[in-house]
Amino acid sequence: MNKKRYILLWLLVCLLILASAVAVAQSTQNAALAPPVVVSPADKAAIETFQKQVKTYIELRNKVKENAPKLSKESTPEQIHAYRTALQTSLRNARTNAKRGEFFRPETADFIRRTLKTEFQGKDRQELRDKIFETETQGVVLRLNYPYAQTAELSEMPATLLAKLPQLPKELRYRFVGRNMLLVDRESDLIIDIMPEALP
Amino acid sequence: MRRTHSHHFLFALLATAILFTPAYAQKLNGNSTAAAKAADSSPLKLTLPNKEGSLRFAVIGDTGSGTDKQRDVGEMMIKYHALFPFEFVLMMGDNMYGGEAPQDFQKKFTEPYRALLNQKVKFYATLGNHDQALQVNYKDFNMDGKEYYRFKQGNVAFYSLNSNYMDKKQVKWLEDELGRETAEWKVMFFHHPPYSSAKKHGSDGQLREVVEPIFLKYGVDVVLTGHDHVYERIKPQKGIYYFVSGAGGKLRTGDIDRETGLTEKSYDRDLHFMLFEVAGDQMYFQAISRTGETIDSGVIPRK
Repeated sequence: MNKKRYILLWLLVCLLILASAVAVAQSTQNAALAPPVVVSPADKAAIETFQKQVKTYIELRNKVKENAPKLSKESTPEQIHAYRTALQTSLRNARTNAKRGEFFRPETADFIRRTLKTEFQGKDRQELRDKIFETETQGVVLRLNYPYAQTAELSEMPATLLAKLPQLPKELRYRFVGRNMLLVDRESDLIIDIMPEALP
Repeated sequence: MRRTHSHHFLFALLATAILFTPAYAQKLNGNSTAAAKAADSSPLKLTLPNKEGSLRFAVIGDTGSGTDKQRDVGEMMIKYHALFPFEFVLMMGDNMYGGEAPQDFQKKFTEPYRALLNQKVKFYATLGNHDQALQVNYKDFNMDGKEYYRFKQGNVAFYSLNSNYMDKKQVKWLEDELGRETAEWKVMFFHHPPYSSAKKHGSDGQLREVVEPIFLKYGVDVVLTGHDHVYERIKPQKGIYYFVSGAGGKLRTGDIDRETGLTEKSYDRDLHFMLFEVAGDQMYFQAISRTGETIDSGVIPRK
């Protein structure tokens, strides 16, 4: 009788261990996937406004690009350098009245900040923050219409985050410098807009 | 009896010496002067079968430092090219550190690999976190003006991805291309490693979360990456072979964490490059240090 009880007790203990292991595994898995961002009608409107601004920029950029030397896919370093310099100058001249927050308007910035907060929350997302903060961005001047320093590293934009942010055309890129988020022209590397303290 | 043994020993010594002489290297590759120079200093050891009709290529990563040691790797590559005439080189990103003026292209790319470029060896680059977007237009990087692209050689399809910016558009492109892929082998190359035991960066979990399911769905065979300045062959993950080859021009000595359980083989004592040979259903690889030492080799069977 005692032996039977002993076996039953052991079975119970084993079951308890197994159940708690499964529960821990499940919670870890769930924690790894950041919850989806809730997009309200107000957010949708903010994203639409942002995308309209982006479209206007691309139209201006295309016009400006006509004055830059053409760049083929078989270019020499000298041609690349000449193209980048010409594009930078033309874009700067075309946007002398550029203002901070022109793209990251308060409503858009609010949506992006919430998205970032959701994506970066949780202990398991510490790796994400580490990757951004370890990026060597010395030399980057956070100033509109200034180029992102060529000597500085580019922070990798987490693929999981890019899936949640408003999509950008190939001419523009999101980029982090510390806690700040930038909107950068991909080819000229000019800083188009800055959202300070974007990261939680 | 003792005499016979010493004869055998002498014979083996002589055969080894002949095998690794400059003249033998030259014979293997015609009348290349580079080949003659090649075997001057150290005996080269090729573990690859070097079969007729096979596809041969090399891999380098995180190269663009413009240092003497980068040039040493370039010189060792041309020595091995004499023995194993690879047709092209895959670059794992960080092709240019600290500035991209025309003279930087010279110092950090053209000069270290001039001998290979002169022999019409093509380089296919991918973008790293130190690379400017316009590198895609540089003729000798053969990127076709694109941040991500595909090319096919023999029975192998190569996909260069931009892991700096894996947005929805790129993910869709990858899925679409892989969905209609007919090549027997599928090889991915990009900068950030989904798996890595290096202490500095390590595995890129966010990137892996997005790309690994696609690799599994479409039967990707091999993934080549850089970013961490070491060599590492990862234990196959869900049937996929991952390599980190990020020390072609920069090194982080002692950066491998031996406790991750991911490593099949690693090397963090010197710069390196890799050679690959695809012969039918077998993909052979050899990792070689800056000084010519073989640090890893093996064969991958096709799925």
